[in-house]
Amino acid sequence: MSPAPLLQLRQLVKNYGGVRALRGVDFDLHAGEVHALLGENGAGKSTLIKIVTGAHQPDGGTITLAGETVTALTPATARTLGIACIYQQPALFPDLTVAENLALRLEPAAAGRRVDWPARRTRARELLARLGAAIDPEAEVRSLSMPEQQLVEIACALGSGARIVIMDEPTASLTQKEQHLLFAVVRELRQSSVGVIYISHRLEEIFALADRVTVLRDGQSVGTHPVSAINEAGLIRLMVGREVSQIYPASESVAREVVLSLRGVGCAASGVHAVSFDVRAGEVFGLGGLVGAGRTELARVLFGLTPADAGEITLNGQRVTLPSPQAAVAHGIAYVPEDRRRHGVVLELPIAHNMTMAIHRHLFPHTWLRFGAERGLAREFIRDLAVKCSSPDAPGASLSGGNQQKVSLARWLATKPKLLILDEPTQGVDVGAKSEIHKIVRRLAKDGLAVILISSDLPEVIGLSDRIGVMGGGTLRAILPGQSDPHVVMSAALGTAEKGAA
Amino acid sequence: MTNSVKRDWKSVLLSHEMLLLYVLVAEWLFFFFAGTTTNRRGVIVGFGTLDRQFDILRHSCEIGLLALALTPVIITAGIDLSVGSLLGLCAILFGKLWHDGGLSLPLAAFLTLGIGTLAGGLNATLITALRLPPLIVTLGTYSLFRGLAEAITHGAITYTDFPASFLFLGQERWLGLPAQAWLFLLVAVAVWLLMHRTTFGRGFRTIGFSPEGARYAGLPVGRRLALVYMLAGFIAAVAAIIYTARLGQAKADAGTGYELFAITAVVLGGTSIFGGSGSVHGTLLGVAAIAVLKNGLACLPVVMRLNAAEEMSGLLTGALLLLALTGSVLPKMLSTFRAHRHAAQPPSPSPSS
Repeated sequence: MSPAPLLQLRQLVKNYGGVRALRGVDFDLHAGEVHALLGENGAGKSTLIKIVTGAHQPDGGTITLAGETVTALTPATARTLGIACIYQQPALFPDLTVAENLALRLEPAAAGRRVDWPARRTRARELLARLGAAIDPEAEVRSLSMPEQQLVEIACALGSGARIVIMDEPTASLTQKEQHLLFAVVRELRQSSVGVIYISHRLEEIFALADRVTVLRDGQSVGTHPVSAINEAGLIRLMVGREVSQIYPASESVAREVVLSLRGVGCAASGVHAVSFDVRAGEVFGLGGLVGAGRTELARVLFGLTPADAGEITLNGQRVTLPSPQAAVAHGIAYVPEDRRRHGVVLELPIAHNMTMAIHRHLFPHTWLRFGAERGLAREFIRDLAVKCSSPDAPGASLSGGNQQKVSLARWLATKPKLLILDEPTQGVDVGAKSEIHKIVRRLAKDGLAVILISSDLPEVIGLSDRIGVMGGGTLRAILPGQSDPHVVMSAALGTAEKGAA
Repeated sequence: MTNSVKRDWKSVLLSHEMLLLYVLVAEWLFFFFAGTTTNRRGVIVGFGTLDRQFDILRHSCEIGLLALALTPVIITAGIDLSVGSLLGLCAILFGKLWHDGGLSLPLAAFLTLGIGTLAGGLNATLITALRLPPLIVTLGTYSLFRGLAEAITHGAITYTDFPASFLFLGQERWLGLPAQAWLFLLVAVAVWLLMHRTTFGRGFRTIGFSPEGARYAGLPVGRRLALVYMLAGFIAAVAAIIYTARLGQAKADAGTGYELFAITAVVLGGTSIFGGSGSVHGTLLGVAAIAVLKNGLACLPVVMRLNAAEEMSGLLTGALLLLALTGSVLPKMLSTFRAHRHAAQPPSPSPSS
């Protein structure tokens, strides 16, 4: 290709603790190119961005910028080398004007210097004009729409002389019309020989906008192709790649009576709409989809954290409303949340306290604490779930991620629920604990519990579920049988099912 | 307290409460020897007399009650600045109900307790239903309650001439102790049981550590917080009645500035201002440490000569509080400092391909 690429990554390696986030990624970006980066959740896209913007240091590999090898990239040096990143949520100061926000990023910080207001305004106007944006430099950022704020971010990038612009899911919160505006700007950037790294889950955008696409899978680049030489099915094949391994415990459970039945359930505040499905006792109902598909939001609706404002929820044949978590718990719903450090476990409190937190009323019917009973119950769960801890009195913070997850699970199993919602139960959990949690989930279903399993880990949701609901854009897109072809699940999640992938 | 890893004897002896107990004992012994003298007629006077000890106890009851009221509030990571003003308002209303309203004293007391609880309910409603920060809400009611008390009395009326049977509660001894000390003890035991032996206390603590975590555990966070502020209002009303009985008069400036002494006692007692950790016995030790310091200083000949008891006690209370706070964060800071030093020299990852 053309002379030296703007950015060249070779064999990048990054480990977080024992987790290998990147294991040898190669990536090239040329001037005047829009290069899309594609991959499942957890494939390594964010890690890659963090390394290129200098936020994290790689554990191995080389970064070459315009022919020069760079070591020790920090956020500051990345900026001076012309790397800019535009995030989904623009990080501007809402109470300052557009011109002031631009000045904060672009003017050197110097005490006692006089502010040259006319120059500020002129520069802001010029930068915005280059993007073809009709934004008043004097407007407060607060008053701008989301895409306008993104344009200001891009103007910052242009103003700082950025040669590499990274866009992380820029269209996630944009309307159709706003997207077209953004696309025009991206093409404009390409014209002025800026290199754009474009990250998106929306395949049609990639085909509309990108020149080349690189697919990441499990921390490795599995292929770079010109967009003209590949189709959606090919991309999905690259993203999914592997077969579902046989390590998942087989389903031995028989689905029985319907426990939960949703008809057109929605919640405007959290963007969930028109969700309908049934979950039966003894089955694991997987919820697949990409980040932002609305799965956690649906779980929060079912647990009463953001109550439903549309549709019908039926539990054990009875129509119910779930206005609060207390109501949900009273109806036998249990929710093991995604963010266990913030929501799943109270880190400062002992394991025993954490485990009995949701059953105060049953374990302590007269409001008096019974320490003996509490500790006994905790010991039982520690044994049953094989929690590795020094004692039931050890604080939650002293446990590893997998063991914290087991404590969080124990808290909800103690309520003897009818419906258990597990939200990313194995995220950030080591391999051993992961397979233990899988076994526990299967055992619970076998014992007659209705389980909703939310997971972004495609093999997990396919391997563990009896049926898989695929969500996208806040609603249920498809219900597929367990052990479905991963390509079919991924197509449904990406919203390309009708075109028949794989 | 209960959220400990392993309760071996060493950690018990070095717990915040025990350290505070050592300070208290040292304080007391110092004043006992330095603040006790014999006057010209050969009578022992000063700190070492039983009368003086009872006096300390008597004067600690109101601030002690407010500190007990604030302990659950602060453990939920909240604050209530209005308790001192509420004490004043309740004292005035109690006096007015009895004097102007013609109610019997028990009935007036009963209604006062109800009013205190309702006033706490106002704080609770603003904090839980409107989700306003407790600091701002109670700063508002701090002015509001005091202003109401001033308005009712036009800043001038003081209710006096309470019957001796009522003054007994504030000025006499019963079963060997100042009468109000028994009431204080009763409230202390009740709050201790609530905080350390019931699911309510467990809930408060959980909310203090992690309000979101508590919500995700299905705890009724709003109702628990409401309970805490209403309880604070109730206890402030109890303190108002004791205050009136001790001084024999109800006036609008009753309890001015008490909330700050009470907060000092709670924090000195080891309750984290960020919520979650803390204990009722710690609060009691904090109250005692401050009361002994304040009264003991007044008995020191040097301080008496300078006539500087107030200034000295303010100064030393402040120093004690800052010392206690520093002591409580120092071990943590040291350990993070060490962790940082370790992190600074990792097995350096060489970026070579």
